Parts: sequence; structure tokens; C-alpha cells
Amino acid sequence: MEIENIVDRRRKGHFRLFGTEYNIRESLTAMGFMLPAVCLAIVFIFLPMVISLAFAFTDANMMTIANFNWVGFDTIARVFSDPRVAEALRNTLYFVAGVMPLQFFAALGLALILKHVSHGNKFLRWAFFCPVMLSLAVTSMLWMNLLNRQDGLINTLLLAIGASPVAFLENPSTAMPCIIFISAWQGAGYQMLILLSALQNIPKEQYEAAEIDKASKWQQFLNVTLPGIKPTMVFVFITMLIGAFRICVQPMLMTPGGLNGATMTMSYFIYNQAQEYGNFGYSSAVALVYTFLIATVSLLLRKVLGGDNQE
Amino acid sequence: MEKKEWNKIVPLREKKRSIGWETVLKKALIALGCAILAFVFLFPIVWMVSNSFKDNDTVYAQMGSLLTFLPPSWNVGEWFVSYEKLFSEFSNFGRSVLNSIVYCSVTIVMVLLINSLAGYALARFRFPGGKMMTTIILILMIVPVETSVVPTYLILYYLGLLTEPLNVVGYLLPGFASLMYTYMFRQFFLSMPVEIEEAARIDGCSRVGVFFKMIVPLSAPIFATVGIFTFMGQWNEYLSAQLIMQNEQYFPLQYYLQIVNNANPRDIGMVMAALTFSTIPIALVYVFCQKYIVEGVSFTGLK
Repeated sequence: MEIENIVDRRRKGHFRLFGTEYNIRESLTAMGFMLPAVCLAIVFIFLPMVISLAFAFTDANMMTIANFNWVGFDTIARVFSDPRVAEALRNTLYFVAGVMPLQFFAALGLALILKHVSHGNKFLRWAFFCPVMLSLAVTSMLWMNLLNRQDGLINTLLLAIGASPVAFLENPSTAMPCIIFISAWQGAGYQMLILLSALQNIPKEQYEAAEIDKASKWQQFLNVTLPGIKPTMVFVFITMLIGAFRICVQPMLMTPGGLNGATMTMSYFIYNQAQEYGNFGYSSAVALVYTFLIATVSLLLRKVLGGDNQE
Repeated sequence: MEKKEWNKIVPLREKKRSIGWETVLKKALIALGCAILAFVFLFPIVWMVSNSFKDNDTVYAQMGSLLTFLPPSWNVGEWFVSYEKLFSEFSNFGRSVLNSIVYCSVTIVMVLLINSLAGYALARFRFPGGKMMTTIILILMIVPVETSVVPTYLILYYLGLLTEPLNVVGYLLPGFASLMYTYMFRQFFLSMPVEIEEAARIDGCSRVGVFFKMIVPLSAPIFATVGIFTFMGQWNEYLSAQLIMQNEQYFPLQYYLQIVNNANPRDIGMVMAALTFSTIPIALVYVFCQKYIVEGVSFTGLK
């Protein structure tokens, strides 16, 4: 990206830094352009990382936030021996294992349907995309009302067909499957859109070539469609996975307090420790361990799946 | 390879013109499947909107029948009982709507200004650290920062931005600079031709002048895309509002919703009215700015 800047570079006042020549005036203007963004990014993007790193080694909480102690690895050691963290991690993995196949194949399936169904295509596209327009808070509250134990729509229907009502969100064994379904219901439309645009970008010639070779529809799907959208699929899969690991608002709103741990996820736990109990040190320690976990998983996946040409 | 007659044209795909009962059945099954899928995705939303037009008694009376998915009557004038009740019973609901509008406007203006300036500098200036910054942005964008909400809260505490009127600043400030948006701006500016800018420079226009008089008007699509995504993000924001806001008067709409939802006794009509009302702006943006959203989605999807 070498841009010949004919006006500035002819001006006087150059300086060299690490073997590259810069113009003083141009550099100063650039600094001015960058200043607000850089300041804010340092304070609110870079510093939070440093702070959560530093606080993981303290015993800071609401009371002692003014004069906390550095306790070395004690707080981090506590993370590994805390049964609540183990349970939160189990719940998160349960959620991820449930939502990933459901949402991913729903998104892929919907995209394929939209590609092949021509009648009412526009209506279907809007229908599948509608839930994406709802915010997390609206989705959670809407489903809280639909699944309400006493007067929710679903339970009214169950009563009408003679079944006994189910306490969907109060029962520890049904709460998580409900949260999984609701998350997939809300999120699938977005990934569907990304996959659909990838599907439509596959050149028609490839299908024509496959047809000349007398490839069946299934063979075409395996050998033209799937390779054609593989980079997008990998991208969608990884972003979906990282998003799934961050699940927080839905259990927080729909099952306040996490049903004694049954729907307490890692992000919710980290947030809860800081907000409810003011354990900033402990919360940061959990966050640090968890960030390393997610980063490892996503890096490994990028390595294994390959194909997504980031930068 | 079997030998083919040289003069016979074989169509690539022989289409069956006769419509047998198998095709009809297949089509019907596909249509049925699509209808069921569409129902699964739509029924909660239809239920939300239709019940927002009813008062609480009607909601309960119609719950067991199909009427629950229909508006209460064909007289539009009767539809807005719950909305009226919502605004009169929750005195701060209207205020929270205004709050959200103000928060969104401020955030959009600041995000567009700050990130476009930075993106322009990264795309067009040669200055020490410029290339390094682009690399840092790309690296930081990949690292998943787990719940930066809490450390951000601590920083706001040290800055003294958590006390009552100031926490509005503390609520908005962290959202202004965004690596993603800066990078989007940089990519867009890089794709623009340099020559027009240079012509303006030769004519004596300053760098700042070029940016505001030429670049900004010419890059409306990227400003629209980033602005729309900022709007949707800010309007739907929930977590940091819960952490930072204390006084009902300053609550953004999304956070105020849980006050309506948790009110005792629960009035379903009113809750649905609040939920529907808070979704209308987002829905409008999706309907009218579809083009920019698809562009943004494919940018994030293809990058």
C-alpha cells in the first residue's frame, strides 16, 4: 500500500526512524487523527486486559478495593479448586455442545432451503431472520412469558391437549435445554445470512461442469457446494463457538441466580462474582483462566480447520 | 465410453414436463416443511406483537385458542390500551426511551468521528508506528477478551465515573473506540482512488479539509454501515447498563424492560407492549437499511 503522497513528501522537514523516512508534518497530522482513538483504545481496550491480568493476583473485593494485597498465585489456585467453577465450566460446555450443532446445522439448512426454494423465498428469508432483530433482553423476556409455569402460552397449550404443565425454566434439568433452543432460535438467522451469501457466490459454471460430468445432486453438494462455502463455514463456526462460550445474558435473565448453579455459566459466574459479591480479584482470576481456555480452543480450531484466510 | 450419435443433441438436463403425483407430493411436503419452519421462527414474535395490542384480561381469555395470534378486533383504535397504560403506569418508561435515543445518537456521532479519523490515518498517512498499529488491531481483534465488562467497571471506578450523573459518561465512553470499525474504515479508504485527494491537495486543501470535504461525502456507504451497526449494538446493550446504572431516570430502554417484566402483578399485555415498542426501531432499521446491513454482514463474514 505505497501511496505516493506528492504534496507532503516534497515539503521540508524529514526524519528517519528505523530506516524509513517520514515527513514531520505528515506524521504530526496523522498523530492528531489517531489521538482520540488511541487514547480511548488504550484506556478501554488495552488497559482492561492489563487490569484483569493484574487483579487476578490480588485479593481485591468491594471492601478492600482501596488497599488490596498482592497474593501471588493464591487467587488463581483457588479457581482450580472451586467446585462452583467446575460446575460453571460443565454447564458452559453443556451449552456449547448443545447449541453448536443445533444452531450451525439450522443455519446451514435454512441457507440451503433458501437457495433452492423459489416460491415465497422472500417471506421465508424474513421469517427466519426475524428473531435476529430481537435483542437478547427482549428474547429472554419474551420466552420467559411463553414458558411461564402458570400462564405461559406453551403450558396453556400443553394443558389444552391434556398433558401436565412443565416448569421449563424453574426445573434444573429442563432449563438448560430451553436456553440452548432459545439461543439457537435467536441466532441461527444471522449465520444463515452469511452462509447464504457464500452459497450465492459459488460460480454457476461449477455446477454446470458437474452436471456435464453427470454428478448427482448429492455429489454436487459434496464436491461443489461444500468446498465452495468451506472458508465461510469455518469462519461462522469459530465465531459461533466463541459467542457460545460467552453465553451470559440469557441464563442471567431467564433463570435469575442460575438455579443454584444448574444454569450458571462461566461468563455469568465471572460477572456475578464482580457484580453481586464485589469479588473483583477472584472474578478477574476466573476471567483470566477462562480467556486462556477460549483462546487455546479457538487457536487450535483455526489450526485444525484451516481454510479461513484471516488477514 | 460408449459411442454417441454425432448429430443428436443431448440436453444437459432432461426436464420432466409431465407433473406426476410424486412431484406434487414432493412439492407439497417441501411447502409443508417450510411452513412449519416459518411457524417455529415466527410464532413467538407474532404472539408478542398481537398480545401487545390487548389488555391483560383479553390476553388470558384468548390464550388457549388461535385468537391469541390475532389482534383483538378489527378496530385499530382499540389496539393501544396496553401502550397507553404502559406509559402512564411506568412514569420512567418514556424517559428511558428518550435516554436510549440520546445515548444512541451520541455514540453514533462519536464512533463515526473517532474511528473514521483513525481509519483514514491508517490508510493514507505514513507515520511512525502506523503499520504496527494495523498489525496490533488485527491481533487484538482475534484475541477473545472474556467479559471486559468487569475490568472496564474497575477502570471507571478509578476514573471516578461511577457516581450518579457522571456514570452516563462512564456508560458511553468505553464504546466509542472500536478496533473492528477502525479496521473497516481503513479497508474502505484503501479501496478509494488516491488521485482525487491528491488533486485537492495540490489545489491547496489541507489534510483535514480533504477528509471532511471529500472523503466523508464520498464514503457514505461505510459511514452508514458502521452507523447502523453502532446503533443496533448500543440500542440492545444490556450488561454494562446493569453494572453501571443506578438511578431509574438514566436507565436505557433495554434495561428498563426488566422493571416492566418483573412488576407485580405481571401484566402480560403491558410487558408485550414494552417488548414490541423496544424492538420497533431495530425492525425499522432492518427494513429500510437492509442493503447496508447485508454489506456489513458480508464484510464481517468474508474478512
